[in-house]
Amino acid sequence: MAIDNPHFRKKSRFHEHIIETVMFLFALFSMLITVGIVVILVRESYLFFSDPQVDLIGFLTGKNWQPMIHQFGFLPLLNATFTTSIIAMLLGIPIGLFVAIYLAEYASDRMRGILKPVLEVLAGIPTIVYGYFALTFMTPLLRSLFGQDVVEIYNTASAGLVIGILVLPMIATMAEDAISSVPKELRLAAYALGGTKIETTFKVVIPAALSGLSATFLLALSRAIGETMVVALAAGAGPKLTANPFKAAETITGYIVRISGGDVSYNSVDYNSIFALGLVLSIITFTLNLVSRKISTIFHQEYE
Amino acid sequence: MKKVIVAILVSVVLMSLPVFAAGSKESAAQKSGPMAWIEDGGVAGLPGVNPLKASGNIITAGSSTVYPLSERMAERFKQEGYSGVITIDSIGSGAGFERFTVAGETDIANASRAIKAKEVEAAKQIGRNPIEFRVGTDALAVVVSKENTFAKNMTKSELAKLFSTASTWSEINPAWPNQPIQRFIPGTDSGTFDYFSEEVFKNNPEPMLSAKNLQLSEDDNILVQGIKGSPYAVGFFGYAYYAENKDSLSILSIDGVEATNANVDNGTYPLARPLFIYSDEQIMRTKPQVAAFINFYLSYVNEEIVKVGYFPANDEELVKGRQAWLKAMNGTY
Repeated sequence: MAIDNPHFRKKSRFHEHIIETVMFLFALFSMLITVGIVVILVRESYLFFSDPQVDLIGFLTGKNWQPMIHQFGFLPLLNATFTTSIIAMLLGIPIGLFVAIYLAEYASDRMRGILKPVLEVLAGIPTIVYGYFALTFMTPLLRSLFGQDVVEIYNTASAGLVIGILVLPMIATMAEDAISSVPKELRLAAYALGGTKIETTFKVVIPAALSGLSATFLLALSRAIGETMVVALAAGAGPKLTANPFKAAETITGYIVRISGGDVSYNSVDYNSIFALGLVLSIITFTLNLVSRKISTIFHQEYE
Repeated sequence: MKKVIVAILVSVVLMSLPVFAAGSKESAAQKSGPMAWIEDGGVAGLPGVNPLKASGNIITAGSSTVYPLSERMAERFKQEGYSGVITIDSIGSGAGFERFTVAGETDIANASRAIKAKEVEAAKQIGRNPIEFRVGTDALAVVVSKENTFAKNMTKSELAKLFSTASTWSEINPAWPNQPIQRFIPGTDSGTFDYFSEEVFKNNPEPMLSAKNLQLSEDDNILVQGIKGSPYAVGFFGYAYYAENKDSLSILSIDGVEATNANVDNGTYPLARPLFIYSDEQIMRTKPQVAAFINFYLSYVNEEIVKVGYFPANDEELVKGRQAWLKAMNGTY
């Protein structure tokens, strides 16, 4: 009866209109924030690159970063960022993948009921705690394994390993989603052909989930590259171009933290440099995210 | 009738009592209003401070060297009844001045070096006129890990090599191990960095920043951690951080002079330097809690400074600061 009442119907449409508008405004708001961040980054970076002491080629190829004395080569920072991220991936990807396979294919409901909350706890730990974990547990561990003289107190290996632990839950949950979304028919077909459980998992299910898995790994990598607190605490506080992960080196994010922590005056070229670095960092992670999306669409297979 | 006269007499006497009382203490403090915290019995020529009656917040920022001292004074100020909030940011002297003179965000700038002329200029642009208060003396400590058993003393020229071109300890002294030097020094905007480059490198920071194995941090605890970590590490920072970590760090004597109270006092320790706080007359007048805190600071700093790990400023300097305070607050109470 109420539905037939034209007055009531009109009012309900009006409500829906309001709700739609509000939701649109929220969506617009988050878009505007993104645009705002990009604008600020580009504008401040422009200040940096328009400084006569800075040239783009020198910035991209220079081997020394010490803005105070006009050395603007960002390779040492980039190198340290990649060192920590690659170490993180070397630890995080295999473990995360196996955890995911176990959860998706092998674990009983009871096991899964225990493991998943544990992973969620791991994901909920603040990164500053991971930072101190690196400094007070991982570094001493590395130093006792490899010797005090080999491993410096601040080093990229310790930070990298801890970032690996940090991204582990993310890899595990996303990879598990990717594996679980492989249709059951594929598994059944593999069994019907006489495949064992392990053959089915590694020769059929994993290849079928590959697009989702690669996207996961790339997202994890961009997360590791952007990680800040752990490297600020444990990796070191001086730019240094080195391939040795047991030496201290400062990452892009570590440098930004140190400088913005009150190290340097506003409007100096050193201060503006952090925006340029922020821009570089955003470009790297944005590209990675884009590639990961592309991969998941290109390799995505339909099984219907 | 008699009763009435007695009553009148009594009431007249009673009413005049406060008048006499006020008259007998000509400079008696007003007991309400923004200056209510002023009381009698101050220290060394300053009016007394009653922290219970000071209210409102105080924002300070600057030197990580002055930080432990300011923190201690703020703590005592609070213990004695101050109910507001004192913010003390440990961001380096330069950044502290930046906030005080350019952004104008802070009421007090902590500094381990004197203000520069261009910083005074900047302050004038925003209508501030920095007043200097000397609060103590620091002996900059050059330290190594306790595990380092070879280095005990450095000359200034050895220091210059140690923190710049030398790559191994044996380059400083052939008897020392042929191991790379790991350097941990304060960030480029700290007064400590400025002071060291001025004293040891004649104001040219370039060699120090081009050194290999260099870690810079505004957080002195990161430096302490790093130096503890290896017998071949070396660094420098304010004496208080050494005093706090005496168990794991050793301090080097400079040119054969140890950083003792006597040597700092008579100026023979080569790396002794002044510690300051800065404020401005206008701020002190419009935010009387700031004036109260500075007064309190100048009155009691010598009771606390040794516990923090620094050395008292000589009396002449302290008196200058107190006179500056009196001049700034002249006529407000």
